[in-house]
Amino acid sequence: MINVPDDQPTIQGAVDMAAPGDLILIQPGTYNEAVTVETNDLTIRGLDRNTVVLDGEFELDDGIRVVGANGVAIENMTARNYTRNGFFWTGVTGYRGSYLTAFRNGDYGAYAFLSYSGQFDHGYGAGSPDAGFYIGGCYPCDAVISDVISEYNGLGYSGTNSGGDLYIVNSVFRFNRAGIVPNSGSYELRHPERASTIVGNTVYSNNQQDTPAIDVALLAMGNGILSAGGVKNVIERNLVFDHDKTGIGLVPFLEEDANDDQPSPDTWDQPCAETLDDPLPDPADVPDAVLWDSHGNSVEGNVLEDNRAADIAADSAGTDISTLGNCFSNNTFSTSAPTDLEPLAPCSGTGSGDWTAGVLNVASWLGETRPPSADYQTSSPKPQEQEQDNMPDAETAPANPANNGPMTIDIDAITVPSKPG
Amino acid sequence: MTRGAIALVLVALVGACASDAGGSSSRSTSDSPGMDEMDGMTGMDHAASSNPDGAPDAPVTGAQGRVPQFVVECPFSHALRDDPIVFPGLPGNSHLHLFFGNESADAYSTASSLLAGRSLCDQRLDTASYWVPALMDGQTMLTPAKSVAYYRPGAGVDPRSIQPYPLGLEVVAGSAGAEEPQSTAVVAWTCGTGIDREVLPPTCPPSRPLRFLVTFPDCWDGVNLDSADHKSHMAYSSEGACPSSHPVPVPQLQFSVAYGFSGDPSRLTLASGAIITGHADFFNAWDENKLASEISQCIHRGVICGVTSGRD
Repeated sequence: MINVPDDQPTIQGAVDMAAPGDLILIQPGTYNEAVTVETNDLTIRGLDRNTVVLDGEFELDDGIRVVGANGVAIENMTARNYTRNGFFWTGVTGYRGSYLTAFRNGDYGAYAFLSYSGQFDHGYGAGSPDAGFYIGGCYPCDAVISDVISEYNGLGYSGTNSGGDLYIVNSVFRFNRAGIVPNSGSYELRHPERASTIVGNTVYSNNQQDTPAIDVALLAMGNGILSAGGVKNVIERNLVFDHDKTGIGLVPFLEEDANDDQPSPDTWDQPCAETLDDPLPDPADVPDAVLWDSHGNSVEGNVLEDNRAADIAADSAGTDISTLGNCFSNNTFSTSAPTDLEPLAPCSGTGSGDWTAGVLNVASWLGETRPPSADYQTSSPKPQEQEQDNMPDAETAPANPANNGPMTIDIDAITVPSKPG
Repeated sequence: MTRGAIALVLVALVGACASDAGGSSSRSTSDSPGMDEMDGMTGMDHAASSNPDGAPDAPVTGAQGRVPQFVVECPFSHALRDDPIVFPGLPGNSHLHLFFGNESADAYSTASSLLAGRSLCDQRLDTASYWVPALMDGQTMLTPAKSVAYYRPGAGVDPRSIQPYPLGLEVVAGSAGAEEPQSTAVVAWTCGTGIDREVLPPTCPPSRPLRFLVTFPDCWDGVNLDSADHKSHMAYSSEGACPSSHPVPVPQLQFSVAYGFSGDPSRLTLASGAIITGHADFFNAWDENKLASEISQCIHRGVICGVTSGRD
């Protein structure tokens, strides 16, 4: 075990001298460091989540970034005021961020990219223009986001081109521009987004006008759970209320500068490892505009109220939405778009009704103006920074590298959350 | 935007996950870079090139994630008629340039002064200076939105062989005096973060406005920080290898400038002359430790340390 500052004055110093499997314990204090981890299987833990603070002072890029090192677990600390990310893993197998607070960072709070077998649990992310929590560029990801709170960001959760055993559960997404937004795009690998499981979350009041926000967050503003070109996602037993637009919306993403065309549906189940050597597209064959429709998503057993465009909705821009294979059943709701959505698209049996009555008209969103992004450095998430729960036994728990997969989720046991008091 | 006119193409061109195995190195067979006629210099200098047909390999483009990279995004800093590489010590001698990165960059800049200067890029330790000729719509300078610098291995180059640029390296890419269209492997235009590389600015929609891209040479002669034409100490790699004349592989910098410009580009010119005279300058004053770290932690480890989404 390496103690900071007793054994090493800096976190980076401790990381540099650590051997795989070591535990680094950090004492309360403010550390103006941008730490890079290249060693496998480290556990880096703050002794007190709220007073072990990595502060980038808007000069440093990432609080802790793990570059291609597997099994690194980061626990029980705060990272704030970084120009990019609070906590960042890229190109790894095995990662975990537990009891982390990320506050006012310029891209994401906690971010896993091109990485597999990981989890974010008991985290808090606020004040980022992109997302509080993000997992992108993996299939199948084998990842879990559980018991997190994400607020006052552009997006509560974003995941581009990720999915496959990717569970977003038992968490709170509120007061962002938009709540949970899985999305597809060919500017990064692993397109499309597919097969995320979004269950048991409380998603409310994502209409926030004064957060920092990237363009996509502005466009998605006022939606609770919005699949933008997502495929085969399972969205069940969430509590979704108080949105200016939709509670749960399945909409297209129009990509007007595509790097690649959409993969055909028969390739959606192919793990990325099997297609690594596929040739690159000839630019002449890539269409200028790719319309990523949301296909094959199932929306069941959610409880929705006071989502003012529609509680549940499915739409496209040019495609016949009846062909997209999305289904809606057993939701508790008042309004839907099209008006007959549940009878039209049940998850079992045959649908009937009028697809043209009461459509969402998502294309009209593009012409709307929205309150502009706030500067992430000066906008202050409300409420002010407040204490979050510590992990149990920070001082005495042994090293716990992230090398045996994410926590197991009993999806069937999850029930719809109760409304917050 | 005319949604009704969008053609949905559902034919798969590649599998759902594209290659990780490094970039394409297809040879660009059109257009030679053209003769260089530097501002105010007499005579003509040819750019050193390792490729017999004069055109570098096409740089790595397309969906990010194929090759290791680090990325620096910078706001627009300032515009001056200065050029610290071509006209050092002579303020006002140049056509109008747009500067990104180091706030202190001007005609008097040196590596030391830049190191001491301040950068507003999202990587503050990138105190290098990057500049391009101003983009003009008639007499009006178009204010750029931001720049994005992509640092990657050149197409096919072994990432583990990449070395840092020396402090004080000065490089020009593209030709301010071009009289014919330049190779898109060096200078190109596109809309948003798309895959197209056009010789002339295309017509872009408002949601994916105009971007200018310049690819810098990725092989250094190992000796000189500069040369008479500001190019000959550098060369472009060919089929994954640096020539023996320029044996040191350095990151291939692709420098892009995003303009909030859409629609008809036919009135656009550059401060250096016709729209085909696109070029860019790079004065390396990265914090040396940070540049070396980015290369060893990201490029050598084969990791994507950052992407740009165009989602802004």
